[in-house]
Amino acid sequence: MRIGEVPGLSVATARLFGIQSAFSYERMLGIGFAHAIEPLLRPLRDRDGGARYREALARHAGFFNAHPYLASFAVGAAARAELDGEPPERIERMRTALCGPLGALGDRLIWAGWLPACSGAALALAALGARGWAVAVFLVLYNAVHVPLRAWGLRAGWVAGTRVAGALASPLLQRGLSVTGPAAALALGAAIPLVVAWVVRWGQPWETVWGRFLSVGLAAAVFAVAATRLRRRLSGLALAMVVLAGAVVVGVAWPMGVLAAGSVWP
Amino acid sequence: MTLGDVLGVTAAGVVAGVDLVTVPQAMTGRPLVAAFVGGWIAGSPLHGLVVGAVLELFALETLPVGVSRYPDWGPPSVAAGALFAPDRLHAVPFWPSLVGVVLVAGLVAWIGGYALGLVRRANGAAIVRRCAALDAGDPKALIQLQAGGFVRDAGRAALLTVVALGAGGVVVGVVAALWRAPAVVAQAVLLTVAAGVGAASVWRLFGRGRNARWLLAGAALGTAAALVAA
Repeated sequence: MRIGEVPGLSVATARLFGIQSAFSYERMLGIGFAHAIEPLLRPLRDRDGGARYREALARHAGFFNAHPYLASFAVGAAARAELDGEPPERIERMRTALCGPLGALGDRLIWAGWLPACSGAALALAALGARGWAVAVFLVLYNAVHVPLRAWGLRAGWVAGTRVAGALASPLLQRGLSVTGPAAALALGAAIPLVVAWVVRWGQPWETVWGRFLSVGLAAAVFAVAATRLRRRLSGLALAMVVLAGAVVVGVAWPMGVLAAGSVWP
Repeated sequence: MTLGDVLGVTAAGVVAGVDLVTVPQAMTGRPLVAAFVGGWIAGSPLHGLVVGAVLELFALETLPVGVSRYPDWGPPSVAAGALFAPDRLHAVPFWPSLVGVVLVAGLVAWIGGYALGLVRRANGAAIVRRCAALDAGDPKALIQLQAGGFVRDAGRAALLTVVALGAGGVVVGVVAALWRAPAVVAQAVLLTVAAGVGAASVWRLFGRGRNARWLLAGAALGTAAALVAA
């Protein structure tokens, strides 16, 4: 059967987007996995009075944890294995074995690669004056990888079946891994100073605020070092919230006339 | 802000909140997007974009990895973008208000992460109640659990948005009314911590190997572009 003729493929693809809807600490993505694979298992309803169909659904509702986008590989491969009549123990082993690699690959490729790359590009565009287009570019760019990745993973998993581990070595994925890290580093490295420059000169001529830009850059570097040192005890966000709350207290309790605007900052 | 604005912001907050984990993870809940939408609903997308850019620097710290607890920036960012619209701020100082909005958004984002844990526990309890049906391979039980998870998460997101709007409105009003320090103090502290958190996060992710070289090249490029473009 050609991949395009697989019954239930479009419904299964759509259901993959909600694979984490019933996320729980006990089964993780298990319920969503079974919900996504169900349309692909419907041909089994006509065999053995539907016993194999129900057994398969019960099996796939068990614990499963992986990156939500790349879980599609496992859904496709497991559906193919079920329809091919593979022994249940073998399918269970395959599901379990895929958790780690799919999680690690997705974390590197998407959460620590593509997402920060798109975020950095959008921040830089916003700071350079793209306004709302920066948001549009972010959503289009990010989802141009996200959506096809889910759909392609399902199909690649289906085609590979129990040999799905080989599909994870796809040159496309490996190329993606080698490109997204540097792209994200470059984009975010450029974005942070651009955003600071954009916000610092809000409503002010640049000639009067360029010194603030450099001072904030220096102070931010010191804060970053402090946040890194304190990370085991306090997250950067928590530290920032404490500092901001302190700033509000100081700002409210500020003795009038002690420091006029512009007397410290250029 | 009219009742229609509040309903619109809450609806946008729900979309942004469920996007984080439940469906579809298309990143409509990222601060840059969510705050822009909030500002747009309240009449000033550009102000929403500024709030979103600042919050996005904070959001770089946490990646939505599986079971770990991470802040939910979507609903508070929508609310922050809406709160910062100029029709609310025409008589209010810009920088102290931005500090207040960011402070509330950060706290509500943290509460959102905690509430996400509660939703996951509630999902687990619902699964236990339907264990027999799941073991029997009943597809209706799967649909009910998926729908239940969505409704719980949507309720969480709606509540967070309303809390952020209410608390944010009060905090911004109080801070703006009582702030007596020069505005540059608020500006300096806010930008220092936002850029500092962003820089620390980026260094942790990319500060080793060949990525570190790309990061430093990007920082040099961005600084030069900021100075030249200005």
